[in-house]
Amino acid sequence: MAADQGGVITAERAPQTRRIGPVESFLSWLVKGENNLASQLLLLPTSFWLTVFLLVPLGLLLATSFAQRGDYGSIVWHFSFGNYLRALNPEYLPILLRSVRYALAATIVCLILGYPFAYYVSFFVEGRKKDLFLIALMIPFWSSCLISIYSWIIILGSEGLINSLLPALGLPKIQFLNTSFSVILGLTYFYLPFMVLPLYSSLEKIPKTYLEASKDLGAGCVQTFLKVTVPLSFPGIFAGVLLTFIPCVGDFLTAEFLGGPQNYLVGNLIQNQFMMAQDWPFGAALASLLIFFLLSGLWVYKKLEGRSLGMELR
Amino acid sequence: MDQKITRREFISLGVSTLALPAFLSSCLKESPKQALNFYNWSNYIGKNTIPNFEKETGIAVNYELFSDEEEMFAKLKTGVQGYDLAVATDFLIPRLKALNLVSPVPHDKLKNLDNLEPRFRKPPYDPNLDHSVPYLWGTTGIGYNKKKVTPAPSSWKALWDPRYKGKMTMLDNVRDAVGCTLLMLGLPTDTSDPAHLERVKKALIEQKPLLKRYTSAGFDGDLLAEESWLCQGWSGDVLRAAKENPAVDYAIPQEGSFLYVDSLCLIQGGRHHEEALKFIDYLLKPEVIAEVTNTVSYPNPNRNSAPYLSKSLAADPRVYPDSRTMKRLSFYNVLKPEVEDRWNQLWQQIKVA
Repeated sequence: MAADQGGVITAERAPQTRRIGPVESFLSWLVKGENNLASQLLLLPTSFWLTVFLLVPLGLLLATSFAQRGDYGSIVWHFSFGNYLRALNPEYLPILLRSVRYALAATIVCLILGYPFAYYVSFFVEGRKKDLFLIALMIPFWSSCLISIYSWIIILGSEGLINSLLPALGLPKIQFLNTSFSVILGLTYFYLPFMVLPLYSSLEKIPKTYLEASKDLGAGCVQTFLKVTVPLSFPGIFAGVLLTFIPCVGDFLTAEFLGGPQNYLVGNLIQNQFMMAQDWPFGAALASLLIFFLLSGLWVYKKLEGRSLGMELR
Repeated sequence: MDQKITRREFISLGVSTLALPAFLSSCLKESPKQALNFYNWSNYIGKNTIPNFEKETGIAVNYELFSDEEEMFAKLKTGVQGYDLAVATDFLIPRLKALNLVSPVPHDKLKNLDNLEPRFRKPPYDPNLDHSVPYLWGTTGIGYNKKKVTPAPSSWKALWDPRYKGKMTMLDNVRDAVGCTLLMLGLPTDTSDPAHLERVKKALIEQKPLLKRYTSAGFDGDLLAEESWLCQGWSGDVLRAAKENPAVDYAIPQEGSFLYVDSLCLIQGGRHHEEALKFIDYLLKPEVIAEVTNTVSYPNPNRNSAPYLSKSLAADPRVYPDSRTMKRLSFYNVLKPEVEDRWNQLWQQIKVA
């Protein structure tokens, strides 16, 4: 016990008689969380973080979206709805729809690829080996996202890996890059772990006894899967779909490098306002609108989900 | 093992936490050694330029790179501190000046300023060189692959040739894309006439399905790897690609093109302007800037550097255009803010179309 080295060593030193210092008693008070104040103190660092680095910037974004662009890209704090009116111009609608379409496609592909993987790892892989599978899933994250994009360019390019192999097999070259295919592929590649991890954590939590009970009660494998496993993994599906879909809608790097001029997405449009066009207020309005659309989509979904659950209970 | 934190450990942790800000600020504080923070385009300096300067003067140069001038401008605009000297393209200089992001350059501190060619002493973007000193210049033109593109492109119209569909790239900026289209259509290059701009828009939207991509940072790489056969590009980068792939060549179209100047600017708020001025003066020495040109294949505005240039570069009309080509080149127009806005909106409409 380093703390008590200087004290007199007595025979009857026992844990319960050890003097507790003020720091230690404070820590134990904090960690026990019996007191309301203590438990709130535990939230302090995160609240501080979220306030300073999320709420304040969001507020600034919202404020900027009502300002106006001055000469040479400066911001003039003159209130107007002009940016929003401009953002709702129908010429931007196809871009928004395209982004939603690509994000949806990538999310569906992620779900189709991710669910069997998560299912396999949660039910058929034992103990330590699970970590191995999850690490394998995370490996792409260890390299920078730009390097992965360039690797895809090398693989898919018109003089790239696949296209240099195709003629050897007697097949014609295929234009992979700069198509909707390459953008959706890129999105799927980057966001697959965001789908798998929540799926895995919800499938993992399903007690095997439930599955056994279902079989005991006469359900076949398929029926057990459809009526027990899938519904119980629903929170994971929901979280995975959200974690994939939302960043996909706003992604701009993938479209920038793999999409070509025909696959301009809403993320590129917003990024362009902040960089090339130097029109921050308009960019802020576009970004705020996107957040608003996503939040209201989520809200509608929650409402519908609540209603359908209610109907089931009745 | 006892998992509790002992008091001594806790205190030492606390002390080190308290000491952290002091430690960090001491890192950020000036080292007694003279230093200079220089912000430049990537691939835009000679191999020995900085080491020789450091040896000569004892001033340490912290060198930071950007590959996109919009990114550089956005960074300076948001008030990122710590840069003393930056390279900015001509069109940015009026903006930097208007937003008070650059400091005036005291000419009396620059002994070698007279080495500049007269043509670069009174450029339209900064007529008295009050806020900038020309560093290197270059031209916008067409980079192409000699094996794939016949005949060699002589007009901007080559970039609309459907035979090269999917094998062409355009620069991703409004000045070059819209500017060169205006030249191709024979329209004034500072126009704000809606009818003119409508024609530009139509032409560029027509071109879009033929393009591989818009890129200002990757056109040379695409050309080198033969992923593209034709591009709108900047001379030095195309010529560097040509060094590695002999099929690559560079041409300035008959309709004319633009000449741009990348300049050295003192960044407002930098604390090492004295050192920065020494560095600018060093770069104005003919032998120093010649080494830069020899490395990057971009011409320099120094009238005394020719003897130090590698022979092949000095005689290459693609690097130093001949006087006939020179007549077809002009500086970018300094657009009025409202015209610039109009152009930016046009560019946006083309992108989303």
